[in-house]
Amino acid sequence: MFNFLIWHMAKNEKKIPLGFKNDIFAVLSAFKKQDQRKLRKLNDKFIEDAVIDFRKSIYEMAVISYVLGKIASKPRFSSKRYGKKFREITGALSRAAKSVSKNDERVILEHLKEVEKSVSSLEKKDERYLTGLISKGRLKVAAIMYAQGVSLGVASSVTGIDKQEIMDYAGKTMMFDRVKEEKSIRERMKKARKLIGG
Amino acid sequence: MGDILCDASSFISLTESCMEKVIYFLTEKHHVRFIIPRGVEDEMVHRPLSTKYKTHGFSALRIKHMIKKGVITSVDTSNVKERANEILRITNNLLFARGKPIKLVHYGEAEMIALAEFLRIKALLIDERTTRMLIETPFTIKKHLEKEFNVHIMMNKKHLKEFSNITSGMYAIRSSELIILAYEKGFFDHFDNMKKDLLEAALKDAKFSGCAIRFDEIEDYIKSIK
Repeated sequence: MFNFLIWHMAKNEKKIPLGFKNDIFAVLSAFKKQDQRKLRKLNDKFIEDAVIDFRKSIYEMAVISYVLGKIASKPRFSSKRYGKKFREITGALSRAAKSVSKNDERVILEHLKEVEKSVSSLEKKDERYLTGLISKGRLKVAAIMYAQGVSLGVASSVTGIDKQEIMDYAGKTMMFDRVKEEKSIRERMKKARKLIGG
Repeated sequence: MGDILCDASSFISLTESCMEKVIYFLTEKHHVRFIIPRGVEDEMVHRPLSTKYKTHGFSALRIKHMIKKGVITSVDTSNVKERANEILRITNNLLFARGKPIKLVHYGEAEMIALAEFLRIKALLIDERTTRMLIETPFTIKKHLEKEFNVHIMMNKKHLKEFSNITSGMYAIRSSELIILAYEKGFFDHFDNMKKDLLEAALKDAKFSGCAIRFDEIEDYIKSIK
């Protein structure tokens, strides 16, 4: 049974998940409606998919859905002066969704890069922070991946975010408090004392 | 003398919380030998110092100084490369969700286990949660993933057995235990009646810097101090 699963998995390795196209369209639709809640839900889904079966395009969509959720939450971005930038973002996102049918990760990534470029230029109109929205999104996704169960090394390597940044972020959340480890601090101390012959 | 093999995460917590002095203390007073794989040196020293803004340069220089002073020993890992890849294959084909293997561990983490096995070092200093849990209680990480994703996670028992054999006898401590150990040996004594508060603050600082310790664990230890 297990071998069959592995064979099945290897057979489908290169295929882009069928639902991915619909998920991108769902992000597009939620962004147009400024539906933050829906964008957050989609963000959770992309991160989950990225942890279970990592693909660069899924990870990029996790970052994009997070960022678009942030944009949707800021009233200043809904003014008319950002209209053109909004259209650029939705246009690039729509092209990315349509390109999924080609089953070519490289092409999808190119379109997603366009979305990110449009987001960055949107921010340039009203620069407020040193770290851009995309970088913040990458860090957030990396920290969530680590919180959900992949190692720090995996979270860092697949997202390109330094371990220091992920740890700094994770340390200021409750992620470690949510998991009860089976070894108590007293047991660990017994082991630690062995180091100095105690 | 006790040898302890350290990963990058523990040095991140210790240097970011300015607690790396416990390493000097335990080396000089208690002859603990801190060993790091060469890859950790590259990651913690060379890479941060080669970036444009040297964002983590302050920590990098302090680790560089520890290596220079012989407080930390950086060892070559070329002879465990094959074994590290084997461990990587095992760990990344250990848990399956929706019929797909979850890539849990990175090469650097697998390399650390391979090096510990090769050098026959039992003590590992790891603040990073996933690898530590895999070594100690792999079923906890399985349960955690199931809770996070609300899916059934399958475990490859053959790989679990292989991994358990590799890590048999190894134990992990975090930078928090290292700080407590230093406390018990008098590291904070010059703070007189403030030393207990100092310890609590230091442990929380390590936690805020990324050491995977819970608040209730800190509380539990602090309460146990007479």
